[in-house]
Amino acid sequence: MLPTLLGVTVVVFFVMAFSPGGVGASLLNAEGGLRPEERRMMQAYYTARYGLDKPRIVQYLNWLNHVSPVGLKAKGEGFPNAWPVGFKAPDLGEAFSTHRKVSSMIAEALPITLLLELLSLPLVYSISIWTGIRGARSRGKFADVSLGFVLIGLYSLPSIWVGVLMIGFLSNVKYLHWFPTNGLHDLMSDSMTFLPTTMHGHFERGWLLDTAWHLCLPVICLSYNSFAFLSRLQRGALLESLNQDYVRTARAKGLSERVVIYRHAFRNSLMPMITVAASILPGLIGGSVVIESIFGIHGMGKLTVDAVFSRDREVLMAVTLIASLLQLFGNLISDLTYAVADPRVSYVD
Amino acid sequence: MSIEQAESSQMLAAAAAEPAMPPPARSLIRQAYHDTLASVLARIGLAWLFMLAFFAVFAPFLADSHPYVMKVNGRWSSPALIHLTPADVLLLIATATVVVLAIWRRLSFLRSLGLIAAVVVVAAAPVYLLVRPPVNVDYSQYRDDLASGKIQKAIFAPVPYSPRDRLRDQPEARLEKPSRRHWLGTDTNGADVFSLLLHASRIALSIGFIATSISVVIGVLVGAVMGYYVGTVDLLGMRAIEIFEAIPQLFLLITITALIQDRNIYVMMAVIGATSWTGYARFLRAEFFTIRKLDYVQAAVAAGLPTRIILFRHMLANALTPILVSTTFGVASAILYESILSFLGIGLVDEASWGAMLQQARAGGAGFVLWIAIPPGAAIFLTVFAYNLVGEALRDALDPKLRKRD
Repeated sequence: MLPTLLGVTVVVFFVMAFSPGGVGASLLNAEGGLRPEERRMMQAYYTARYGLDKPRIVQYLNWLNHVSPVGLKAKGEGFPNAWPVGFKAPDLGEAFSTHRKVSSMIAEALPITLLLELLSLPLVYSISIWTGIRGARSRGKFADVSLGFVLIGLYSLPSIWVGVLMIGFLSNVKYLHWFPTNGLHDLMSDSMTFLPTTMHGHFERGWLLDTAWHLCLPVICLSYNSFAFLSRLQRGALLESLNQDYVRTARAKGLSERVVIYRHAFRNSLMPMITVAASILPGLIGGSVVIESIFGIHGMGKLTVDAVFSRDREVLMAVTLIASLLQLFGNLISDLTYAVADPRVSYVD
Repeated sequence: MSIEQAESSQMLAAAAAEPAMPPPARSLIRQAYHDTLASVLARIGLAWLFMLAFFAVFAPFLADSHPYVMKVNGRWSSPALIHLTPADVLLLIATATVVVLAIWRRLSFLRSLGLIAAVVVVAAAPVYLLVRPPVNVDYSQYRDDLASGKIQKAIFAPVPYSPRDRLRDQPEARLEKPSRRHWLGTDTNGADVFSLLLHASRIALSIGFIATSISVVIGVLVGAVMGYYVGTVDLLGMRAIEIFEAIPQLFLLITITALIQDRNIYVMMAVIGATSWTGYARFLRAEFFTIRKLDYVQAAVAAGLPTRIILFRHMLANALTPILVSTTFGVASAILYESILSFLGIGLVDEASWGAMLQQARAGGAGFVLWIAIPPGAAIFLTVFAYNLVGEALRDALDPKLRKRD
């Protein structure tokens, strides 16, 4: 896992380092209207500050040392106080464009993205398990075929279009003004009570309901793409376990079809669904880039897009690092749940 | 995580379970082609894709501000032909080759592909040397001259507006509703939406095809070498694949694309291709693992054939199936990625693109505009849907498990 993570940082860093124009140049473009000597001074400042004049490999190692929890450090900090090498607090650096600490920017953005993800995961699962069971029960019949068709349709539906249409129709004063257009909270949300109340005889929706209201469209938009994949997985797994001997036994015992499917076959078909859960998450993180920029939600995706436009190396590196970390973490969890859910799987000889 | 990954792993398991398949009477590709065509949905999908290909190839003739022919001072000229770019001419030559091959039908599928590629490469140099369209284009001259009577006669394309024909000095021409003049209305710059739509199909289709070809080539090379040599090579390759798969593809794509300052269509193709090869490499590696110890491969090794021939002529021919299926899905996702990049504003600069049109419908300064929002999204959806349907049918046609069940 660690070598993979290291590899990820190498790939992203050198993609950025070798990009024409480099990182520093765009910073100067952003600060328009500078006189030549001011420009030169800014350039010298940035170069010294971020070590942009050093060879790229040195720049990378420098960055790596800052991020890693173990490495070179100033004396008097971190764990072995007197040593120049040892444990220390990882430092994600300072954003080029906003001059804020990257770690605090990520601490703001990550929970929002994770919230979106954790809300859409149960939605995706409940719908695709239901459609998967429906499909498997009526295999080859009209219901199965048409469900499959609809699911491929949903899978092909570009979320950029759905997002734009949702905002355009469902939260537009000209059409149906049912949902808010953008953001995660109302402007007044800070002064709201947490739970809905009825004050002075009229209904106040409160902070919780307001947030839920803002999250409706983004969560739907993020979820519907994954139905096809999971539903197909569920259908295949259920079909497989319906062919097993114990299902035949259960039927021969005279159990009702409901019990056969839900108590016997369905439980054993959940295996693949559990193991892909963790690997679905990163896909949703990728999807959040689009959703967040459509719905104006300031999560990881929006952070990435903004960082890309200002060519902010520190933010981009940190965001990719975190996203890859989540992905690898997901893989790990999926391996572990695999072992927990299926006692036959063992990682110990 | 996409459909094809789940499906192909199932398919691989199925293929491994039944190694002894009866030899098909026809070639695999022809067989798959016939079985795929048996599905009604796939046929509809293919019909849409053919229509799109037609639009893409003939876009400069279907939607063009330059008249086909016009008569000025008693002399006939053809501005439409004069303004064709070298890429247009090359595309027409390639299309002509395809049509000839489709009628003549003597070459195998792969040879035809090779011949088309050869024709394009050979024709490229003279075309780029000889075809020089005028650099300065004044679209409104035709309208002015026609109004003043300087152009005595002119025949226009069915949609007489180029995608870049923005009616710059006519603010009233912006955001026009669909009418007989502009079939799908105009956008915030005053460009004709239908014309934009037609021309954008070129970008979508070409990026879909070429980006996927690039990723297939990389994936096949890496996967073949990994699956054949096993051991250390395989270990290193797997680590590389893991690294690329650990970065969410959209993140990587956005980062790379945004950092390239002068983006053109070829850069976009290369970037999308270079970030989506891991799936193909994985599939091919798994296939090669199962066939590398088979008799015919061992026989080829014993006969002393060069490794290149063993890998790409003997083994690849028997491992193409999963690649073929996921290529179709790959084209769909490449088209989606291009539209997402354009939508986020890091796509092609000043080129008609479905994603960029959607972006304009959302944030073009005029709020939500119905007639700009619906058509490009529908076009992306239908194209991706068509590719996915064809891919499904192709997979069913190639799946030995399904075939046996019939």
